[in-house]
Amino acid sequence: MSWIKRRWTAAEADRWTKEDYVTFVVSPLVYVLLLLGTALSLLLRWYGFLLLGIGLALFFFMLWVIDPKLKAISEDYEIKQKQYLEDLEKIARWEK
Amino acid sequence: MVHFAFLDWFWVISFILLMTVCGILFYKLGKRSMADFFLAGRGLPWWLPATSVYATHTATDTPIWVSGVVYQHGLRGLWYTFFSAWCAISAFASTRIFRRSLAYTQAEWQTLRFSGLGAELLRGWIAGWQVFMNMFILGWVGMAMGKLCNYLFGWPQWVALVLFSTICAVYVLAAGYWGVVMSDFQQGVIAFLVIVIVSFWGISVAGGPHGIVTKLDAMGQSWRLNPFAFSGLTSGDFPLVWFLTMLVIAVIGGFGMGTSIDWYPEAQRIQSAKTVRDASYSIWSGTALIVIRNSLWAVAILGFFVLYPNIRETAQYEMAWYRIGFEYLPVGMVGLLFAAVVAIHLSTISAHLNLGASYATRDLYHHYFKPKATEKELVWVGRVSTFILLIGSFIYGSMMQEITQWLIFALWIMAAGIWLPSILQVVWWRFNSWGYLSSWIANLGLSWLVVWVLPEFRILPDLPDYLQFWIMMVLGTLIYLPITFLTKPEDMDRLVKYYVMSRPLGWWKPVRLEAERRGLVAVEAGAAKGGS
Repeated sequence: MSWIKRRWTAAEADRWTKEDYVTFVVSPLVYVLLLLGTALSLLLRWYGFLLLGIGLALFFFMLWVIDPKLKAISEDYEIKQKQYLEDLEKIARWEK
Repeated sequence: MVHFAFLDWFWVISFILLMTVCGILFYKLGKRSMADFFLAGRGLPWWLPATSVYATHTATDTPIWVSGVVYQHGLRGLWYTFFSAWCAISAFASTRIFRRSLAYTQAEWQTLRFSGLGAELLRGWIAGWQVFMNMFILGWVGMAMGKLCNYLFGWPQWVALVLFSTICAVYVLAAGYWGVVMSDFQQGVIAFLVIVIVSFWGISVAGGPHGIVTKLDAMGQSWRLNPFAFSGLTSGDFPLVWFLTMLVIAVIGGFGMGTSIDWYPEAQRIQSAKTVRDASYSIWSGTALIVIRNSLWAVAILGFFVLYPNIRETAQYEMAWYRIGFEYLPVGMVGLLFAAVVAIHLSTISAHLNLGASYATRDLYHHYFKPKATEKELVWVGRVSTFILLIGSFIYGSMMQEITQWLIFALWIMAAGIWLPSILQVVWWRFNSWGYLSSWIANLGLSWLVVWVLPEFRILPDLPDYLQFWIMMVLGTLIYLPITFLTKPEDMDRLVKYYVMSRPLGWWKPVRLEAERRGLVAVEAGAAKGGS
């Protein structure tokens, strides 16, 4: 799936891209499928197991899409965090 | 009344000691600084805030609430619990933006996103409102425990309210958020295991999955197995438009901050995660557990329905899930269930005690009263604030009776007028502090007018809740949108700083171009096209 980017530089990962939009669509769908799939599976309905299976498959797909980007964002951001925290304290103390 | 054997009391006392001691053990970490007392030093791996999200939102009144809607509506009642799905998008949108802002609280975030007097007014207002709201939640959750212990042991309702909140306050006062999150972890694990055991037990008692389905068929109630059993487009007690409204509120709300009352405890968990990635996963997976938990409960409550199909009184069928456990579990296991109930109760109480205190300390005391306060002093103010919240919760608890009524009011109405502005403040650069502040003020007046006052004087008919939501959203927009355009945009320096730090989603083009012009962010390829 070459349309899903798996290698990110920090500057690229800071932008909102199709990987984010795919996640925005898939993530609520996973919740719906988990909700219905769990309940209907407990009642031993065959379509409950099907929904649960699709939900789990979509969950792993979502991780596959978004995880490399989240890693890139986190690694870059943690470097800048110390400076940002110092600024935050200055604002809280009315020094900035 | 339920009879407890020695083994039952053994479980209860052991778990209370375990939870309290576990919290107190982190006393030394909690007292190091304000960041430790309220955010566990911002260093937690994703699974700790995740279990805290799950444990905090599994309160004593939650199975009461879920029992009420599922007994009444069958599996379609699950959608009433689906408001938590705002985390589906939030985990990858507003969570990411908020974590990057590093704000201790949502109130503090207002002064990072906005500037000047409007921002300070918003910070003060949200901080004060959150102190009140946490006291209110502590009161209503405390009274749910009071009602349960009244049903179980015949205790006066105030006894359980005071007893369990006070036990909980011991470790919150000692270790702050470190105590909260560490206790939440074991409370969450205990609670989830017991919810699985009791729910499976209930399903088994009702005749197993096959027995439940067969009995519902025989009773002519098989529609209860259909999560999409709508009563009509706009008619009946479960119309399609309600469902669509709920989906919009829950799912699209994830782009905003504060679109749900649950955002505020989540915001604390987001900031306590050690990275942006940990924050995203903690919110997503904690809520996934909540979704699965609701399904477990729902099937057990369907089992209760086939055993007791003719209960008419809300207060009676709201106890469905608890009755399965307390009436059908064998001696020795009942104590385990009650220990789990205490666990979920303490996790919610501890979270709101610490959260309310964080607003009182960071936003009110530190920012407005004593900006030069030392870390040691701030930790002590945190403890005093926790104690004040505890006392306040006793007062609020004694004033509250109808749990479901208040929950519906809080979930639908108190969020209605600020739902869209809470999204706009995240996604639209031009939305300013005066627009957001006016939406809050308008919502306070409109919610009471549309829900209580105008129907009382027959000026408005009694409208269904989904219509109230849309009416208040439209009326609110007519107030805050003109105010936004009639007042100046936020200071560009502040917006650029916020943009560089948080990288918000949505319509930020003028700010992004200014940040690029100043060389603060890399120039985006094809920038001329973009809205973000």
